[in-house]
Amino acid sequence: MKRRATVKLIGAALLGLALTAGNAMAQQKDKMDKVTVMLNWYLTGPNLAFYSGKERGYFEQEGLDLQIQEGRGSGPTVQAVAANNVTFGYADISTMIKVASKGAPVKAIGVAVQTSPIALIGLAEKNIKKPADVKGKTVAVTPGDAPSQMWPIFLKKNGLTESDFKVVSGDAKTKVNAVITGQAEVLIGFSTDQTNEIEAATKKPAHALLFADYGVNNVGLGIVAHRDLIASNPDLLKRFMRAATKAFEDAQKNPEGAVALALKVNPKAASQEALLTGLRATLPLLHTPESAKDRPFRVSAKAMNDTVNLMVESGGLDKGTGPATNFYTNDFLP
Amino acid sequence: MNKLLSSNWVRPLLLVFAVLVLWDICIRVFHIPQYLVPTPLAVLEQGWIEWPMLLRESLPTLYATLGGFALSVLIGVPLAMMIAYSPLVESYLYPLLVFSQSIPKVAIAPLFVVWFGFGVVPKVIVAFLLGFFPVVVTTAMGFKSVESDMIDLARSMGSSRLQMFFKISLPHALPSIFASMKVSVTLAVVGAVVGEFVGSNSGIGYVLQKANGNFDLPLMFAALVVLSLMGVILFVVIDLIERLAIPWHISQRGSAPAASA
Repeated sequence: MKRRATVKLIGAALLGLALTAGNAMAQQKDKMDKVTVMLNWYLTGPNLAFYSGKERGYFEQEGLDLQIQEGRGSGPTVQAVAANNVTFGYADISTMIKVASKGAPVKAIGVAVQTSPIALIGLAEKNIKKPADVKGKTVAVTPGDAPSQMWPIFLKKNGLTESDFKVVSGDAKTKVNAVITGQAEVLIGFSTDQTNEIEAATKKPAHALLFADYGVNNVGLGIVAHRDLIASNPDLLKRFMRAATKAFEDAQKNPEGAVALALKVNPKAASQEALLTGLRATLPLLHTPESAKDRPFRVSAKAMNDTVNLMVESGGLDKGTGPATNFYTNDFLP
Repeated sequence: MNKLLSSNWVRPLLLVFAVLVLWDICIRVFHIPQYLVPTPLAVLEQGWIEWPMLLRESLPTLYATLGGFALSVLIGVPLAMMIAYSPLVESYLYPLLVFSQSIPKVAIAPLFVVWFGFGVVPKVIVAFLLGFFPVVVTTAMGFKSVESDMIDLARSMGSSRLQMFFKISLPHALPSIFASMKVSVTLAVVGAVVGEFVGSNSGIGYVLQKANGNFDLPLMFAALVVLSLMGVILFVVIDLIERLAIPWHISQRGSAPAASA
C-alpha cells in the first residue's frame, strides 16, 4: 500500500515537472518571432544554407522561429512576399526587379548569388566551349523563365542570331530530358542546378558555359522583403540577416557539413552528391570582384547597376526605370 | 424587348457583361494591385493589341485539339461498341480504362516528349488521353440502352445483325455519342495546352508560359479568353452537326410542342 502511494506521488511530481518544463519551452518559443521564408525552388545547392543554418541554431539565437517553405519558381515567390503571404522570400533578384517595376512593393535586403549562374549547359563531349560553338546546334529553352529572358541579349553581345541554331521549348524537366537523350546539345539554365542533374542521369561530365563570362552578368538569388516590413520592423530584418549571413558563411567553410544537415531535415530532397555539387557551384558565385572581401549578401553597387542596365538593354525593364538603389538596400546587413 | 432577352445569345452575353463589371468594381473597392489581378479593360486592351499574334498561335493548339479529338472518336467509339456487345471484353477492359484515366497526364507528358520528340505528336497524344474516356463511357452506355424489345422485334422479322446495327443500334446510340463528343472536345483543348506547357514553342500554351514569365497578366488573361472561346466554338460546331444528324431526338425538338394542339 505504502509503496503504491509513493510511486503515485513520484509519478505526479514528474508529470508536474514535465508540464512546467514543457510550458516554459513553449513560452520561450512564443517569445520568438515566427518568420517564414519561401525559397525559389525545392531544396537544392543554392538554398540549402537556410536548412543547415536553422539546424545550427543561428536563427533561434536571434529569437527567430524560422519556417522554411519550398517554392515553385522565383516569380511566384516574389509575388507571395508582395501579397504578405510569407515574411521573406529567397528568389532571383533580377526577377524581383521586374515585378517591383510593375508596382510590387518589394525590395532586396541581401543578394546572395551576385554573379549570374545562368549558363549554357550540356554534356562535355559536345564541346560547347564558347558562344560561337552553338551555331548549328539545338538549344533547349523554357519560355518565360529567367535564362530565357537573358538569352536574346547574350546572343546580341556575342554576335549570334536566332537563325544560327535550332530551338526546342519545354518545361524544366523536359529541357533536361532533351539534353540527356540527345534531342538537344545544350540547354539554357542555371549552372548550380542542371549541371549536376545531367551528370547524375548520364554518369558523364557536363559543362556549363557561364553567361557572366560573356558579357551578361546580372545578379541572381537574394532575400526579398515587403516594403511595409522594412518600414515597420527594421530590427527583425537585421536579426534575420545576421542569422542568414552566419548560415551562408558556415556553408562556405564546411559544405559537406551543411549538406549533411540539410539532408537531415529533408532526406528525400536529392542525393548527397547532387546537393554538394550544386552548393560547390554556388560558392564562387556568392561574390563579384568588387565584393570579394565582404561577407555574404553584401552586393556591390556596380553589380546592381550593371543588372538594371542589362535588363533595360534586353527589354525586360522600361527605359525610365529608376536607379538600382530603388530595388535593394544593404542597410540591414551585419 | 422580351423576345430579344430570351434569345439564346443575349442571355449569356449579359451575364458575362455583369461579371466584367463586378470584376472591375472589386478591383477598385479592394485596391487589388495590377500585378496580382489585371482590370478587364487592361485585358481587353492587350487582347486587341496582340490579336494577330493570339490568332496565329491559336492555330497550332487548334490542330492538336482536333487531332486528339479525332483519335478519341475513331478509337473510342469502336472500343465502346466492343464493350457494349461483349461482357467478356468489358470485364477485361473497363477497369483498365478507369485506372488509366486516374493517371495525371501532366506527370507523364514529359515522357511523351522523350519518346516522340518535340512536335505535334505529344500534344495530340495528351489531348487524346484526356478526351477518349468520356467518349468510351457514354457511348458504351448509349449502345447498351437500346431497347431489347426493338431488337427482338427486328430479329423476329428476319433482320440481319448488320441491318440491326445500322437501323436500330447506331441511331439509338447517336445522341450519347454526340453528348460525349461535346465533353471530349473541350477536354481535348485542355490536353493540347498541357502538351504545349511541357514541350512546344508554339500555341496558346506557349503564349501563356511567356506571359507568365514576363508577369504580363493582361496578356495571360487574354490568352485564356482565346482558349475558352476556342472550346466554345468547337462545342457549338458539334452542336450544329448534332442538330443535322439527329433532328428527331427530344433534345433537338426545342420548346413549345404543346402549342401545336
